[in-house]
Amino acid sequence: MKTKVVLNFSPTAANTPITNNLIAKHHLLVNILRAEIDEIGGKMVLELSGKADDIRKGMDYLKENGVGVRPIKEGVRRDDDLCTHCGMCVSICPTKALAFDPKTGKVTFNEEKCVACGVCIDACPPRAMEILI
Amino acid sequence: MTAEEFKHFVRSNGTRKAAKEVDIVTTGTFGAMCSSGAYFNFGHSDPPIKMQKIWLDGIPAYGGLAAVDAYLGATELDESNNMLHGGAHVIEDLVRGKAVRLKATSYGTDCYPRREIDTYISLKTVNQAVLMNLRNCYQNYAVATNSASRTLYTYMGKLLPEFGNATFSSAGELSPLLNDPYYRTIGVGTRIFLGGAQGYVMWEGTQFNPGVPRTPAGVPKRPAGSMAVIGDLKQMSSEFIRGLTFTRYGVSLGVGIGVPIPILDEEMAKYAAVTNDEIVTAVFDYSQQTRSRTVLREVSYADLRSGEIELKGKTVPTSSLSSLPKARQISELLKHQIMKGEFMVEKPIQNFSMDRVVRTLDVRSEKEAM
Repeated sequence: MKTKVVLNFSPTAANTPITNNLIAKHHLLVNILRAEIDEIGGKMVLELSGKADDIRKGMDYLKENGVGVRPIKEGVRRDDDLCTHCGMCVSICPTKALAFDPKTGKVTFNEEKCVACGVCIDACPPRAMEILI
Repeated sequence: MTAEEFKHFVRSNGTRKAAKEVDIVTTGTFGAMCSSGAYFNFGHSDPPIKMQKIWLDGIPAYGGLAAVDAYLGATELDESNNMLHGGAHVIEDLVRGKAVRLKATSYGTDCYPRREIDTYISLKTVNQAVLMNLRNCYQNYAVATNSASRTLYTYMGKLLPEFGNATFSSAGELSPLLNDPYYRTIGVGTRIFLGGAQGYVMWEGTQFNPGVPRTPAGVPKRPAGSMAVIGDLKQMSSEFIRGLTFTRYGVSLGVGIGVPIPILDEEMAKYAAVTNDEIVTAVFDYSQQTRSRTVLREVSYADLRSGEIELKGKTVPTSSLSSLPKARQISELLKHQIMKGEFMVEKPIQNFSMDRVVRTLDVRSEKEAM
């Protein structure tokens, strides 16, 4: 199975080779979609593939090492009351998670495809997009 | 019928039959319209004040009018230039029924002794709240892209480097003035759908420029006509009046406008039958910091709506800044209001002048300006 997670870690955890351990010890395939690190810690968006059991163990390993783990669905959220479906976000979304539905003319948001990069946040004129990580 | 329904009808029945059978075509658009604002009369305080400097939720409003009249511009920002909350957002808040803090100061006169006031107003407390926009509903608009190596933040949205994307801002075949390219039925006095209420065209829009190049069918290929509009803010809805933020550019007002177009004859039927593939506009590189940018190429709204266009050998994704679902919703609403007799279609009192040209602003001497 595959799952996308958002990791938040402290400066100490940032010094541990976490992704390497996920690969070596927990037999997971790790695709780093986004990684940022600064003086107050770091943030990483990963796609993990492997056996369900290994993924569960991998997540436990992360939590034991003080890494906050959240599913990507909590990464970016759209406020449907604010969205006017103009489509500004469509051409800047690198994964096409935000796309134009030619039938309805509306902008669809596919959370499965979203990697929480955040380029849509400040591009949205009615400020309907929110990033939670 | 709506503009989209009309185009289908003409495709299968032709313009002659359409002219005979169809009376009115309803159009619609919803987009960022910067040259917008609202005026208010707040009522008199006791003792009264001749308001000189005025703020609504911290946003300065213009008070160089009679004592308690003011105009709040949509793009106005507070002293800190906070772009998340400008004049347009205050207008939206009022339309949503919220109370807004009014502060005003004055020098005091014998007839208006008060020097300051700090209170709250809402659409319920003010005498007049009128949306009055000087340039809305552009007849066609440019496409923006960016050849530079950094992201540009513009009134056309976020433009990614090296032709990373292109943005456009017209409802295309649904847009009011593109269905009446020579302004035969839209002029001063035309009753329109404005922000969810009924409003009027009060004048040509500023920078009205009908002389731009046109297709053989008469459709302008560049930004051409526009209209100044007016309507009662108290009757409007936040579905069609929205404060918008364009990062590092500023604030604008999202306005929903619909115009009914009477199909007077076969000529009007031909005009209103226009489809996205027949409406052409120009792509400009917004990294050129000049008022006369070079045209990169021309594209149709069918191309733009397909999601990508070709620029300098590169496939460039496109984005609209104008909401297609809202444009459709407005054309539908207007159709139903007309059919139920709630919206009366008005003949213009005066047509727009086709002689208008757009002049530039140059640094000139007093003599040169005369």
